[in-house]
Amino acid sequence: MRRAFVVVSSVTLAVFAFQFVFAAVGAFTKPSSEDAYALHSLTGMAVLPVLTLLTILFAVLAKAPARLVGLAVLPLGLTLLQALLAALTGTFADAAGDSSTLSLIIGGLHAVNGIVAVHVGVGVVRGASRLARPAGAEAGVAA
Amino acid sequence: MSTGSIIAADLLLAVLAAAGWLGAGAAAATGHRRTSAGLVIAGLLATLGRAATTIALARAGWWFAAEKVVISAPLSLAAVVVGVRRSAMALLFAGYAATGALLVTVGHGYPVSAAAALLAVAGVAAASAVTWWQLHHRTSRTGVAVAVAALVAGTGFAVAPGGAPPAHHEHRPVATPGPGEPTRRFTLTAGRAGEAWAFNVQVPGPELTATVGDVLEVTLRNRDIERGVTLHWHGYDVPNDQDGVPGVTQDAVRPGQEFVYRFVADQAGTYWYHTHSASDIGVRKGLYGALVVRPGPPAGVEVVVPVPAPPTAVRATIEPGTPVRLRLINTDSTTHRYAVAGAPFRVVAIDGVDLDGPPPLADTALLIPAGGRYDVVTTAPAALFVDGRLVHSTGPVPPAPGAWPVLDPLAYGTTSAAPWTRIDRRLTLVLDRGLDLRGLLPRYAHTVNGAAGPGIPTQVVRRGEVVGLTIVNRSLVVHPWHLHGHHVLVLSRDGKPATGSPLWLDSFDVRPGEVWQVAFRADNPGVWANHCHNLPHADQGMILHLAYS
Repeated sequence: MRRAFVVVSSVTLAVFAFQFVFAAVGAFTKPSSEDAYALHSLTGMAVLPVLTLLTILFAVLAKAPARLVGLAVLPLGLTLLQALLAALTGTFADAAGDSSTLSLIIGGLHAVNGIVAVHVGVGVVRGASRLARPAGAEAGVAA
Repeated sequence: MSTGSIIAADLLLAVLAAAGWLGAGAAAATGHRRTSAGLVIAGLLATLGRAATTIALARAGWWFAAEKVVISAPLSLAAVVVGVRRSAMALLFAGYAATGALLVTVGHGYPVSAAAALLAVAGVAAASAVTWWQLHHRTSRTGVAVAVAALVAGTGFAVAPGGAPPAHHEHRPVATPGPGEPTRRFTLTAGRAGEAWAFNVQVPGPELTATVGDVLEVTLRNRDIERGVTLHWHGYDVPNDQDGVPGVTQDAVRPGQEFVYRFVADQAGTYWYHTHSASDIGVRKGLYGALVVRPGPPAGVEVVVPVPAPPTAVRATIEPGTPVRLRLINTDSTTHRYAVAGAPFRVVAIDGVDLDGPPPLADTALLIPAGGRYDVVTTAPAALFVDGRLVHSTGPVPPAPGAWPVLDPLAYGTTSAAPWTRIDRRLTLVLDRGLDLRGLLPRYAHTVNGAAGPGIPTQVVRRGEVVGLTIVNRSLVVHPWHLHGHHVLVLSRDGKPATGSPLWLDSFDVRPGEVWQVAFRADNPGVWANHCHNLPHADQGMILHLAYS
């Protein structure tokens, strides 16, 4: 189970990182359209929620300490927040769908939140790896 | 503050409340007492803020606040009552309750459902039980029992057939007597042209023109569009069997097949046609064109401008002072901003129907909804900009328009009394997003009254009735509403009656937080699609049907 926790959390982190690639694909696709972000939204709205849920599940099954389980829950919340921020940019756009200052600020928060999610993801993978190491090895490192 | 902004603010506050309580719990569990205290205050303030937005939304209309009052408020109250104890467990419970309060709004807001409430309770209880086990290394029997009971009951409510009978699609379109010998004949052949899908190898397809009284005959052939094609006459209130909705009024025309449409051109004005089979991708790839019906022989200079427009502007030189009629058609799935610069203009018709007493306008932008049409009369030289880009000019090009105010058609032109005094039947459409679990794969659908097409119950009217339609947008995006087979008269928006020329529309933008009251006479029997004309939204569930009993 501890190995599985490491694997799932690492895959989740990798997908988080790839979201930046998919966002860039969307931004640089010409002519620009909403479709250019199809891969980015599909990953964000379907793949990542499933992966982050699995990470929590394996954290619990691996009997991770409460603190690490808490850390593993965070990416799910950040993923949902991420989708919400993306949706809100549309709300604060003007009537013709053009961006406004507020919608751009929220769009900026979408990027910041993405960076935070990667940072937390790294924390989860580190915690999972530490958990998977034999107890003796950890003591050795500590020494 | 507009209702749309309050809806968005409510969501942000709900996120802050959940994050505040959860963060306070995590901080308390790890011994950061001062951080925890600060986050408790943030959580409390956000929860209080949400109480304010909930009250404001309830005042704007029960549709906007129902689940917030009935489900989210009790959960938030539980969060506050338990959370103020400030133990790690209590704070985390508050966080789960606040998260549940948020997820109900996002997942299935309207109508209030027992399933959503019970599943939220089950989630809160399950998360609390796991946390209890993590913190105390003991099983919380109460937590587990509540979680299991709520999960079983909630799932039961969710899968129970309930009041909504499955929409069945064995409609027989209402056949009409032949309209007589055709006087205008066209053939449209749908086929692939490189990346595009085109009628007669051109995008947009050929412009079909007729004079009022003509009998139109259009032969549709499908060369190689695997997804099938049909022709829907957008805004043209044809008999039901000519409406071109696959699976409802006809079968989709498959490669090698053909279908003949025949109807009387009895409405003058600017319309368009497009495929209604795989319409999202089909229209985007080019299966559309203009339909213009004139009251008599064409007079003066007329320009038909379908948007999306070609990348290079058309620059014509026309004798200064000549009247020019611009027929603006938005064939896209989103609203576009039009600006006529260089000369005053009047909007003489919207959605094909003439306006009464339209006054001249200058330095005013026009927002045309997806599927909508505006007829604008101006004098050369003038230039048309769409979304700030020059699309057509009839002489020297004036500077691009700035941030002009937008015309509100509800307050433009001369008012007159409605042609009826009573409403016989009232129907309501509440537009939102929500989880749809009825298909094979769960999806985050665009919903009407809490359901997603094809699972939305058909609304039924009787012939001759005056039907009032209330359309409420609870979601975060604009929905251009389009009822087939009828033009609707706009009565009011957000409770404010329309004061301008009578507006008979077939496509109108219902923005986030808006409530539109419209009405129509049920005078065209059949089964009619009634949907959002942002075609990806329709594809993701926002389509239902209106049938005559």
